[in-house]
Amino acid sequence: MPEIRVTPLGAGQDVGRSCILVSIAGKNVMLDCGMHMGFNDDRRFPDFSYITQNGRLTDFLDCVIISHFHLDHCGALPYFSEMVGYDGPIYMTHPTQAICPILLEDYRKIAVDKKGEANFFTSQMIKDCMKKVVAVHLHQTVQVDDELEIKAYYAGHVLGAAMFQIKVGSESVVYTGDYNMTPDRHLGAAWIDKCRPNLLITESTYATTIRDSKRCRERDFLKKVHETVERGGKVLIPVFALGRAQELCILLETFWERMNLKVPIYFSTGLTEKANHYYKLFIPWTNQKIRKTFVQRNMFEFKHIKAFDRAFADNPGPMVVFATPGMLHAGQSLQIFRKWAGNEKNMVIMPGYCVQGTVGHKILSGQRKLEMEGRQVLEVKMQVEYMSFSAHADAKGIMQLVGQAEPESVLLVHGEAKKMEFLKQKIEQELRVSCYMPANGETVTLPTSLSIPVGISLGLLKQEMAQGLLPEAKKPRLLHGTLIMKDSNFRLVSSEQALKELGLAEHQLRFTCRVHLHDTRKEQETALRVYSHLKSILKDHCVQHLPDGSVTVESILIQAAAPSEDPGTKVLLVSWTYQDEELGSFLTSLLKKGLPQALS
Amino acid sequence: MDLECSRLLPALCAVLVDPRQPVADDTCLEKLLDWFKTVTEGESSLLLLQEHPCLVELLSHVLKLQDLSPGVLSFSLRVAGIFAAQENCFQYLQVGSLLFSQPGGAPGLRLLSAPPFFLSSPAPCPGAVDTIFSLQGDSSLFVASAASQLLVHILALSMRGGAKEQPCLQGDDWPTCAQKIMGHVEESLCSTVTPKVTQALNILTTTFGRCQSPWTEALWVRLSASVACLLERDPIPAAHSLVDLLLCVARSPVFGSSNGSLWEMVAQALSCLGPAHVGPLALGILKLEHCPQALRTQAFQVLLQPLACVLKATVQAPGPLGLLDGMADDAMMVDALLASKSSCAGLLCRTLAHLEELQPLPQRPSPWPQAPLLGAAVTVLRLCDGSATPVSSVGGHLCATLAGCVRVQRAALDFLGMLSQGTSPQELVTQALAVLLECLKSPGSSPTVLKKAFQATLRWLLSSPKTSSCSDLGPHIPQFLRELFLVLQKRLCSPCWEVRDSALEFLTQLSRHWGGEADFRCALLASEVPELAWQLLQDPESYVRASAVTATGQLSSWGLHDPTSPQHAVARQSLLRELLRILSADSEGFPRRAVMQVFTEWLRDGHADVTRDTEQFVATVLQVASRDLDWEVRVQGLELALVFLGQTLGPPHTHCPYAVALPEAAPARPLTEALRALCHVGLFDFAFRALFDCDRPVAQKSCDLLLFLRDKIASYNSLREASPNTDSVEAAPWRWRAHEQTQPQEDQEPEAVLAMLRSLDLEGLQSTLAESSDHVEKSPQSLLQDMLATGGFLQGDEADCY
Repeated sequence: MPEIRVTPLGAGQDVGRSCILVSIAGKNVMLDCGMHMGFNDDRRFPDFSYITQNGRLTDFLDCVIISHFHLDHCGALPYFSEMVGYDGPIYMTHPTQAICPILLEDYRKIAVDKKGEANFFTSQMIKDCMKKVVAVHLHQTVQVDDELEIKAYYAGHVLGAAMFQIKVGSESVVYTGDYNMTPDRHLGAAWIDKCRPNLLITESTYATTIRDSKRCRERDFLKKVHETVERGGKVLIPVFALGRAQELCILLETFWERMNLKVPIYFSTGLTEKANHYYKLFIPWTNQKIRKTFVQRNMFEFKHIKAFDRAFADNPGPMVVFATPGMLHAGQSLQIFRKWAGNEKNMVIMPGYCVQGTVGHKILSGQRKLEMEGRQVLEVKMQVEYMSFSAHADAKGIMQLVGQAEPESVLLVHGEAKKMEFLKQKIEQELRVSCYMPANGETVTLPTSLSIPVGISLGLLKQEMAQGLLPEAKKPRLLHGTLIMKDSNFRLVSSEQALKELGLAEHQLRFTCRVHLHDTRKEQETALRVYSHLKSILKDHCVQHLPDGSVTVESILIQAAAPSEDPGTKVLLVSWTYQDEELGSFLTSLLKKGLPQALS
Repeated sequence: MDLECSRLLPALCAVLVDPRQPVADDTCLEKLLDWFKTVTEGESSLLLLQEHPCLVELLSHVLKLQDLSPGVLSFSLRVAGIFAAQENCFQYLQVGSLLFSQPGGAPGLRLLSAPPFFLSSPAPCPGAVDTIFSLQGDSSLFVASAASQLLVHILALSMRGGAKEQPCLQGDDWPTCAQKIMGHVEESLCSTVTPKVTQALNILTTTFGRCQSPWTEALWVRLSASVACLLERDPIPAAHSLVDLLLCVARSPVFGSSNGSLWEMVAQALSCLGPAHVGPLALGILKLEHCPQALRTQAFQVLLQPLACVLKATVQAPGPLGLLDGMADDAMMVDALLASKSSCAGLLCRTLAHLEELQPLPQRPSPWPQAPLLGAAVTVLRLCDGSATPVSSVGGHLCATLAGCVRVQRAALDFLGMLSQGTSPQELVTQALAVLLECLKSPGSSPTVLKKAFQATLRWLLSSPKTSSCSDLGPHIPQFLRELFLVLQKRLCSPCWEVRDSALEFLTQLSRHWGGEADFRCALLASEVPELAWQLLQDPESYVRASAVTATGQLSSWGLHDPTSPQHAVARQSLLRELLRILSADSEGFPRRAVMQVFTEWLRDGHADVTRDTEQFVATVLQVASRDLDWEVRVQGLELALVFLGQTLGPPHTHCPYAVALPEAAPARPLTEALRALCHVGLFDFAFRALFDCDRPVAQKSCDLLLFLRDKIASYNSLREASPNTDSVEAAPWRWRAHEQTQPQEDQEPEAVLAMLRSLDLEGLQSTLAESSDHVEKSPQSLLQDMLATGGFLQGDEADCY
């Protein structure tokens, strides 16, 4: 029995370190290869030992697919390909291919600089890994090999994020990665066609939430920034180089323009330029509004946002600074934070998630006295705000996507167990689709129906065409033929061809049926009455009364006979070939009702 | 456990057992577990439990709670396991009841893997082993694997407890627990359900891999018949696990090389396993140190079969030597080659990878069929690029199947590269190079194939002088290089950055080794390659720019610019300027880092452009590097400064205790003059600023450099103890720390610098810097504080992610 098997090595009932193994029709595919930012040792990577025991990785895995550039989806890739030893193809979209190495390099630098980790992947490894990448376009069907094909769909979420359809023969799986069903400032909404996969593997971060409109959060954000700078305070927004940073920049830029504000906004040096470059390069991946206005005004060329220099942090007066990294665990953002933390007029806005141990996590959990290196204690007097700008589909969005794709089953990943449980029930009840939520290391096995390819002879198709009806894609039509199996191939051919190929003679098969009529007249008269009756009803058919007294309708032959024992009853013998089976049955049932009285 | 943690622990335990209190993510629990492990390694677990009753309460509470999160439950069981690893604690906690009262508490299984007294404890859990048997089939890989490991552990422990040197084969005198497990394994081996067979084989593999006591031999004698039965089934169940087991038994030192029945079984496996599994078995056998020669021969034949088929199908009858000539083809192998494209590609890739792995090993079969293997690798590549001529229907089929198959092409190129290490007949070497050139030329070659082709070509070229005279590449090199550079020219202009980059990396490697060879120089200079490499300094892709910097830097080191072309003469002179421009203006770190590496190499090797005015060169480079935002560029700057320092003051001391102590070489120039030169190039300014750099590796490197400098100066006995104004000296380093000194000081006096050097506690700084900068955040206090603080924070907010 063919089956689809799914084993999450990461993202099974948790968020972080996405890595899902899918076996479909004998092909093995790894979906995402992420790292967990919360660990500092090997646990940050998925446990690959469970697949390395299947022999050489490159032989076992047919391909790796990366959904988008966030490190929890691609962070373990150089480790997997250059240190664990996977040497096969890696698929991702063009923007992901461009941005992924920047974030990997950023992360490597922090790991080596701050933590002094020596056993980490190097720049050369990142480059060698990126050389194994095959970039794909949206909606382009890519043949991984003769049997396995993949296709990317737009997912929103971040620049270049994609959902992937994996298909082998008639079996298919769709993996959503992270996606967003509502457009935001810079990206559009996720979309997939009615591809009816056997399985849809979807993220479920906000499985129980109906998120408020992003407009409210945006208004809130702008209000807080505005109030702080109005009273002369400084605002620090720690961000990762690419993604949310650009969305917030567009937001502030537009607001500054509208309000005619003069307070300086800065962005960590080097990054704006790079980010802008990528957004310009991949403009078709942004939302409609940005694409439309691009020619007159490039949304990624900011008038109010300038490059930041270390010395600016000490400048008096208000300012807004976007600095990396986003969790305040190292580098520029932490440096600025240390300078500004002591002043209650200032504010830090954390626009995303922070892992345990980072300064970002500490201040978000309300800690106000932070122990820094050298036994120094940093007192945090500045205001701390948290605003989630992460772009995931909420419960409604997830249901909407499931409805769009019409899968046979759904499998939930990238979410918390409790929330998944809720969504699972909702999907099963409302959409009547079976739903799974395996934990990491747990395998879900789905049986699929066996698919047998059948060839159709040209002759049969031509014969069908000759009937004058042109084929229509949306209207399935029945086609009759003879299925023959020869050399372990199945073919549907016309019966004549089948007879010829198999060297068989045709036997005529007629169905017969007796209908009893109460009629005292002679057989000939009964036959005539039948003839007149049928002639009046079957106007489109050729009804004939033959000289021998029998009646024919197409191939159907009706003869009247008188049983010797009962002169008041006549028996109608009806016979027909299998081609006219429908008509034959119709006539029989018609005659069984008797002949109209008016004629008698 | 320190006081602060002791103080925080009760509150944390209270949070953990309170289902209403949210617990931070699982990573926190994992880190907490790590901390408990460290603590229990350092002090008595029992004492710890007695001093912290909250821990015992936590463990007893989790049993009573119904709606506890699985994360906390799993954590508690594992904590119990950590404590129970010490016998007195085990009794104290009565841990047995804790484990098996929890259905699905599988993570707690691990807690049993430590205590040997578990089995001898007065009240062993009656259903324990049965529970573990059933968990072997758990849908979670992690649980199933833990269960299997645990069974092995229990088996080993109980056999050790039995203390019989030579247990009876029937197992009558085996401990009850061991008998039960063995009975289960035997039963599973006979099962018709493949997963059960797999489980049994995995237990045995782990047992023979881990335990090397004499009882394992008795175990094998008892079970080998059941294992042998598996080979008679069709299809053979759990073939992959079976191969693992056979190899594991064969490797075990318990079994002497004279174990006839084992070798018979392995030989049988070699003849009846399918192509997918027989390869790994054959490779494993060939890697064994002791094994009968006949079996090795059989294994090698199995490994060579697919390539032998390929050769037979494509080589004309009176052609060169084939593989396994005179032997009939293995029908199963031929079937696998012909069945489908993916089966054929899979088999060939595996075979090539196995042979590649075997080739460099000392225990590889001898004689090694180098020539036919090379022929086979070339043939496989020809089949992939469509240029092979089939001589049989199998050949025709292979042609159609392998044409354009990138997977096989990559594997064959790797193998071909590895074969460069042996001695091959000239004719075949020429063929190998020709097929590589074809591959590099082919417009259809994918970037990954091209990269492998470049790597293989490099290996062949670099290994060529080592080959014996009869197979020397000698006369063919110049012609080959001419053609190669034509291809390289084309590839340097490829629209794919991957290809441009691989081509540049190849060029760098080749010129590094052959830059001095006349043939190479001549062919290179006759081509447009140097010019193209120069143009790639402007490439839009930063990886390519960085590789172009390295390549042009390497070419320039060998003076590889066409002297006849005026354009190139200008280029040579302006390369330094161009690299400086990249260093100061390139927006990406990779090219800037590459420039610093080239400059350091140039300085070390005395490149003509550098030696013209070394001090000026160093001054300029350090000035640009010190302003760089990328800390790796600044670290490279310090590396360059270190080289300069070595050249000015003499090389670093060798601390080799076995080295003959030579009298110190006379310094190149008087100390004051040398120091003045260092001041002049701004080295001190750069180093002191770097010492207080916010990026730790920069500060570390600077610290090393200044320590080296201080030691070096101390060796100058003639050093005057100059003492300028002490106040200004002591204040100076702190000015750098505060970044006040934005302008480099050019008028530094050597004496002032020396005094400053002495005033710094460099050793102290070095040990501080050795600690990672997040050691405070990683501390247990920080973890406990964070977990406690989470309780108040998460309630209102949604858990978030990227």
